[in-house]
Amino acid sequence: MNPFDYRRAEDAAGAVATVAADPRAMFLGGGTNLVDHLKLGIVDPDLLVDVTRLLPDGVEPLPDGGVRIGAGMRNSDLAADPLIRRRYPVLSQALLSGASGQLRNAATTGGNLLQRTRCVYFQDVTMACNKRRPGSGCSAFGGYTRYHAILGASEHCIATHPSDMAVALSALDATVVVQGTDGERRVAMTELHRLPGDAPERDTVLRHGDLITAVELPDLPFAARSRYRKVRDRASYAFALVSVAAAVDLSDGVIREARIALGGVAHKPWRATRAEAELRGARPTEETLRAAAEAELAEARPVEGNEFKPTLARNTLVATLRDLVEEERTR
Amino acid sequence: MASTSTRAPVGLSSVTRDGIGASPRRPDGTLKVTGEFAYSSDMWMEDMLWGATLRSPHPHAEILGIDVSGALRLPGVYAVLTHEDVPGEKRYGLEYRDQPVLAFGKVRYKGEPVAIVAADHPETARRALERIKVDYRVLEPVSDARRAALDPDCPLVHEEGSLPLHEEHNQRGNRVRYQPIRTGAFADGASVEEVRALADVVVTGEYEVGMQDQAFLGPESGLAVPAEDGGVDLYIATQWLHVDQRQIAPCLGLPADKVRLTLAGVGGAFGAREDLSMQIHACMLALHTGKPVKFVYNREESFFGHVHRHPATMRYEHGAKRDGTLVYATMEIVLDGGAYASATPAVVGVASSLGIGPYEVPHVSVDAYGVYTTNPPCGAMRGFGAVQACFGYESQMDRLAAELGMDPVDLRIKNAVSQGSRIITGQEIDMPMPMAEMLRRAREMPLPPDRSSLPAPSDPRTLPGGVANTSHGEGIVRGIGYGVGLKNLCFSEGFDDYSTARVRLEVVGGEPAVTVHTAAAEVGQGLVTVKGQIARTELGVERVTILPSDTRVGSAGSSSASRQSYMTGGAVKTACEAVRERVFALVRERGLVEDGHPDALLSLSGGKVVSAAEGVLISLADLLGGEAIEETREYHHRPTQMLDPSRGQGSSHTQFGMCVHRAVVDVDVELGLVKVVALDAVQDVGKVMHPQQLAGQIQGASAQGLGLALMEEIQVHDGVIRNPSFTDYLIPTILDTPPMRIDVLEHPDPHAPYGLRGAGEPPTLSSTPAIVAAVRNATGRPLTHAPVRPEDIVGIDPPQG
Ligand SMILES: Cc1cc2nc3c(=O)[nH]c(=O)nc-3n(C[C@H](O)[C@H](O)[C@H](O)COP(=O)(O)OP(=O)(O)OC[C@H]3O[C@@H](n4cnc5c(N)ncnc54)[C@H](O)[C@@H]3O)c2cc1C
Repeated sequence: MNPFDYRRAEDAAGAVATVAADPRAMFLGGGTNLVDHLKLGIVDPDLLVDVTRLLPDGVEPLPDGGVRIGAGMRNSDLAADPLIRRRYPVLSQALLSGASGQLRNAATTGGNLLQRTRCVYFQDVTMACNKRRPGSGCSAFGGYTRYHAILGASEHCIATHPSDMAVALSALDATVVVQGTDGERRVAMTELHRLPGDAPERDTVLRHGDLITAVELPDLPFAARSRYRKVRDRASYAFALVSVAAAVDLSDGVIREARIALGGVAHKPWRATRAEAELRGARPTEETLRAAAEAELAEARPVEGNEFKPTLARNTLVATLRDLVEEERTR
Repeated sequence: MASTSTRAPVGLSSVTRDGIGASPRRPDGTLKVTGEFAYSSDMWMEDMLWGATLRSPHPHAEILGIDVSGALRLPGVYAVLTHEDVPGEKRYGLEYRDQPVLAFGKVRYKGEPVAIVAADHPETARRALERIKVDYRVLEPVSDARRAALDPDCPLVHEEGSLPLHEEHNQRGNRVRYQPIRTGAFADGASVEEVRALADVVVTGEYEVGMQDQAFLGPESGLAVPAEDGGVDLYIATQWLHVDQRQIAPCLGLPADKVRLTLAGVGGAFGAREDLSMQIHACMLALHTGKPVKFVYNREESFFGHVHRHPATMRYEHGAKRDGTLVYATMEIVLDGGAYASATPAVVGVASSLGIGPYEVPHVSVDAYGVYTTNPPCGAMRGFGAVQACFGYESQMDRLAAELGMDPVDLRIKNAVSQGSRIITGQEIDMPMPMAEMLRRAREMPLPPDRSSLPAPSDPRTLPGGVANTSHGEGIVRGIGYGVGLKNLCFSEGFDDYSTARVRLEVVGGEPAVTVHTAAAEVGQGLVTVKGQIARTELGVERVTILPSDTRVGSAGSSSASRQSYMTGGAVKTACEAVRERVFALVRERGLVEDGHPDALLSLSGGKVVSAAEGVLISLADLLGGEAIEETREYHHRPTQMLDPSRGQGSSHTQFGMCVHRAVVDVDVELGLVKVVALDAVQDVGKVMHPQQLAGQIQGASAQGLGLALMEEIQVHDGVIRNPSFTDYLIPTILDTPPMRIDVLEHPDPHAPYGLRGAGEPPTLSSTPAIVAAVRNATGRPLTHAPVRPEDIVGIDPPQG
């Protein structure tokens, strides 16, 4: 690890100005991802600006019925928040399925969104990786790909975004509040992360120096019955092979609306718009649920080593929807 | 005599507490749970330097040149050493001397040490590594173990003629060892076709076991301190001090007595500390700089710094009569040893001799290969050789039971070995082996309640997927599976294995006190406790101090092969007996008993000398006064034989251990998730020395087997480890680990001290196949690879359109 300066920022504008002005400066949240990257040699900043003190760290109700989550809020606090648990259980469940108690105590909302891929080739600096060293090639093809993408990938990168929280936020149509050098702007959660295309080094649409200050959730009454399911190699403390965040609005035996996102399958939380469209107005039978999942995964393109993922993703999606429908029926 | 010998001892206030069979507290227990225990990585000296290792980035490459000048120019760097600076022998090795101290000519695995640095700060040392320039010519990796074993055209990992060949192991080309075994008709030259004709039912199978890591928590670390006599003192977390010394000294060009080792706090071992890691490097740098040098690997480096469990591919064929009687078995196993031999020869010896397990089979043909590749070196890990084979033969037994329509337990009982049976090497099992009884006991253990009858059937902690809230009780299928494993305990194949103990009895502060000194490595298993218990039982003294383990006393052998309670326990017992005899001689000298009073009627208890006839004769404090009695003894187990290299016959093993597991699993077949609901074990340990520690060993070994069954696998692609971290290499957490019912039997082995049997390894064998069998039972999937992953259960839909 190379020496770097550490500064604790007192105000957002100052922090943004400092980092924006110095290409080798970075924000520091809980440090649970960034510090690992310093050790692995993935990043080599000369200044870390600690933003945990200045960022809001609570959940406030908004006048329009939504809520605002401070970007400095720790993952465990967010998961435990009564309002979140009652109105957006999918978010609480997603958070609790991630990492470990100790890590969640340190990790922040902003940092969680901007954590980077766990692709083993990205993390090994001796290997070619277009995300780490643009143009150097992708070592994942033909390699260890169980955790890699099957949707929206490119020939340059098949990495996945590892966050569970982000999958839930994507399903919930969250908005990310960003402070840049030219003031505050709002980015739809579904637009925050990018597909790799030919620039996999860019995870998100943010610019260097953009600070995430909050995440807002819209008023979404049917999200009170929402669910996160995660399939992984052990019962806790492991990243998702596949995960599903879903909420279903069911009345008179018909699905009015559904919000679905998949994790572990793409370079970004994968909002399942095709499945949502299939379900809208449908009666939730095993067949319609399966058809919706299959519609979403029709474009799936597994690579050698993750051929199992479309099946697993479909099954997980169907199982999650089935659960929600069941719960709704027996209410 | 007879009339008086029943008299109760007079004046004996208490018997000796905390002897064998009790569960006294571990001497290091409190420190460990309170975080105060000093592990090897905690060692510190004011003026010490930090060592770091430059490792090969390639699995296979020629070294064209090494330029260290840039590193040497960095302020704070004291030394940069390469193979040219190795003062003595350039190679070392546990069994074959084939591993370079620092690579020369070629590198043969990714992570192989090429150069070492000592600097005033770990960060300086790391940066110095970046300034070392190594010019490589990259070579094609040799990554297919099967090809390395069987294809004469496979490129060689070690150049022809570069190493002496071990004829007794049929070493040739990339084969580190090839061990055939032929019995019955196969020994007479019959072909498989001919033998097959004797059977009514034939099953074949191909199985694989992935590369497992020992995953100890305390990464490799050590501190070397140069001494005034030109020698070096090394404080190191290892499994066998003297075998380290034996390998280090020649490489340093020093006599063994100038390389003194002391055991530092060991944070787990499981075989991963049997080979050297930085021992020679630290000593070289300390001798070169004249300063203490400390090394600590980080987690990632640790994955490259120790050997792993050999991945194995196995092909089996079993033939049986309609009634289930086994007629013949063939087995071919290829064990990938990676770049250097490490323990591969011994692993092949175990995998072959125990290759078809604890079954009576008249005609057997085994071909076991351990090979060199340019994959990470593999060597010792808990249960080595036997773990891989057990997954194969137990899978076969289930397959055969299914084919015969027989209950898998009944099939096993029908063919079970027992005392007096011979294993396929012709060796007689000359100790109790109540396998049939153990299987019946396992089958009769109460089963966990059905999910539907649970008070909260959807408590996520009890469901596949656990707290990820993944399964909800619907579509969950239960399965039950059994596994039995036969394990050799202590060292095998003609090795004159021994341990040494020095025991001292004296009076300290008016009380008798015992000091026990051995070189045995406490690696977490609790040997420190057992040594004290034996001394208490044998000498009737409660105050026992266990001295730190070092090379000032003779070798204790390795803390491996489940052997330390047997071997070092035996040595402590024997040394105590010698001390006791001298106490009795003193009693006689002092005229406290009549001449001719037999020792058998004397005993030591509660700090006193007791006569069966007359009760307490004298307290040890009064008897000894200022005198100390000290005795050192070596304990050897009975001799074993090499396997002959053509038919694999010979009594190669010292002792056999057995564990039976019954696993109950709930499987979410839709999502591929497995919850092990119960993992119950029946094990015969001969004699329970410490009930609590024994339970810990059985539970731990079962959990390690669970890891291999369901999640643990080092991913190696083209010779490169892809998951060198505990984020990516998964071991079971408490949420994956079920309650375990343990049924312990105590049929004493007449050849062993106290009749005990090594207990640490057998459950590692049987747990894996039992769990996989239970998952097969639930899903109907063949599941031929351990670990089983979600995708193996869910399967893959055929591509659409
Ligand atoms: C062993 C382990 C297991 C894990 N398992 C899981 C899992 O199962 N599921 C899961 O979802 N996650 C998992 N994680 C990842 C964990 O959730 C993230 O490390 C964590 O959420 C990152 O948050 P942080 O505050 O520590 O971010 P940091 O490490 O501080 O920062 C991460 C990145 O975000 C930037 N950043 C931080 N805050 C801001 C901000 N406000 N505005 C702009 N940029 C910012 C930093 O510059 C950095 O680039 C695991 C991590 C570990 C180490």
